[in-house]
Amino acid sequence: MKSEKNKEALNLIEKAVQDHNAKELNQGIDEAFLQRIPANEIRQSLFQGLELSRKKLFTPEAPLPQFLLSLEVLHQGLKRLSSAEGIGKSGGIPLVIGVVEGDPHDLGKNIISRIYAASGYEVYDLGTQVPVDAFISSVKEKRAKVLALSSMISTTMAQMPEIIKRVKAESPDTVIMVGGAPLDINLAKSFGADGYAESAVTVLEETEAAMERVSAKEKW
Amino acid sequence: MSLGGIIDSLRKGHLPPLGLIPDPVLDFLAGLASFRGRRFELSTIERLLATMRHKEPDHIPCAPLVGGAYRQLTGASFRDFSIDANVAIEAGLLGLEVIGGDVLLLGLDLTVEASDFGQATIYPENSTAHPDYSKPLIKDHTDYRKLKRIEIKSAPRMQKVIEMSKGALKEKGLSSVFVPVVSSPLSVLAMMRGAEQVFKDCVLYPAEVMAAMETVTSVLIDYINALCDTGLIIIAPDMLFASKSGLGKELWEKMEGPFGREIAEVVHRRNCLVAIHNCGDGPCFDSMIRLMEPEAISFACLPDDCRDRKELKKKYGDQTTLIGNVETALLYRGSPEQVMEECRRVIDDFAEGGGFILAPGCEYPPNANLLNAIILVQAARIYG
Repeated sequence: MKSEKNKEALNLIEKAVQDHNAKELNQGIDEAFLQRIPANEIRQSLFQGLELSRKKLFTPEAPLPQFLLSLEVLHQGLKRLSSAEGIGKSGGIPLVIGVVEGDPHDLGKNIISRIYAASGYEVYDLGTQVPVDAFISSVKEKRAKVLALSSMISTTMAQMPEIIKRVKAESPDTVIMVGGAPLDINLAKSFGADGYAESAVTVLEETEAAMERVSAKEKW
Repeated sequence: MSLGGIIDSLRKGHLPPLGLIPDPVLDFLAGLASFRGRRFELSTIERLLATMRHKEPDHIPCAPLVGGAYRQLTGASFRDFSIDANVAIEAGLLGLEVIGGDVLLLGLDLTVEASDFGQATIYPENSTAHPDYSKPLIKDHTDYRKLKRIEIKSAPRMQKVIEMSKGALKEKGLSSVFVPVVSSPLSVLAMMRGAEQVFKDCVLYPAEVMAAMETVTSVLIDYINALCDTGLIIIAPDMLFASKSGLGKELWEKMEGPFGREIAEVVHRRNCLVAIHNCGDGPCFDSMIRLMEPEAISFACLPDDCRDRKELKKKYGDQTTLIGNVETALLYRGSPEQVMEECRRVIDDFAEGGGFILAPGCEYPPNANLLNAIILVQAARIYG
């Protein structure tokens, strides 16, 4: 009986994220707390809801505006979990993300940042218009395993090779992912990046593949 | 046929709007150009006419879509290009001479309309202008309804594009085709509110967003009328949000589609042509065609309902003229040989039977070497 109620609460949370329904999310979390469901199980349901939306992103079932709202609902859920007694930040793979200097566009970066945060990464989001030195120092300070660089305009994208070169010189094992409208996989390779993500739909898989390549010292 | 209107346009030194000429006459002229093109080199006008009436010209036209990159020819900064219409038109006309191509894009940058509404804008020396997102004009959803209509006469940046148009037509009104890009209502709002918020507001506060779009559209209509008054024959509304990576089909049709239709109707009423630009991922060709009846669509990516270029040509090639879709990333990084080869592939897939203009998928990268723009133009001549 208890297990049935637990399942119902977790399903409600998962569905609330998918449907970007804050009211149902709160009901689900209230019920989960009542049933004393462990925080990691609640968190899993939150992430699972987002994951199901992410896989359908850009389809009629999950257009971008609805997906953005799902991300917002997910964060409301995570916030409630974090503020609940005994439930702190989960940690994860340290990752630094930011938009290169001169570029104020943050939509793509924000989406990717939240997807990473919901998928086992400890995200340090440096925001937009980040100077080269700030990327270098953050990667060192946070011992980042991954650096994700974004640029939406070709003029600012031109800084990426310099950032990649300097990060690789100081932290050769940091995996560097790049993304943004003016880029493609060939450009990413020519810049010296370890991986390229075309969109939020593929970013996790591409990052994992890049981490495996770097760890195995395989050429991309 | 409005003979008076045609004569008036020619007397003023620019082409008459094609809508003044009945379809059978246009088809006859296009057929004649196509026939002539088998033996002789056509003028830009003949080539475009044949192409847009889906007849095969001497070779396919090319629209290199160079905007800010032309400033490399005169040494102007991005800032000067954005704020001084004379600098922009001087660079553009020089570009037309040096690089060639059949269409010259008229525009300063993407912030023109929003900055006239009062959005704070930053003009960097070495990059394209952008809104100051720390000072959004629309701070929350209640601000949408507070957006005030502006008068075109007192809108300095739109006036600069109008000046550009007059200058361009004065120099080459009868020999070249100039096309201004006009932002869509949602694109203008995204500059004032931030794209992420606009996306979310379309779901959470659709009535408020629609109210602001109504205000913006009324100004855009005045802007389009003023551009048509200068003698332009094609207007290019930028409909980025009508794509899979934008609002998605259903929401776009509900939110921005009606305003897109209104804008297209105005252009058509002025007897001008609508050439939609949409560089989004998975553009909704079917929705845009149904609502806006564009004579041409410029695109970067395959439509949301096509698997490859051949399917796109088969499905939409007879409904509109296709403009595209050489990857801008390739133009930025590719060697001339690689660009030439990609142009050949694109031409092979799209050119047969007319109705195709070779172009980049989006504006030519403003800091890319202009050599690949020349390659684009040459590829159209060689393979088209």
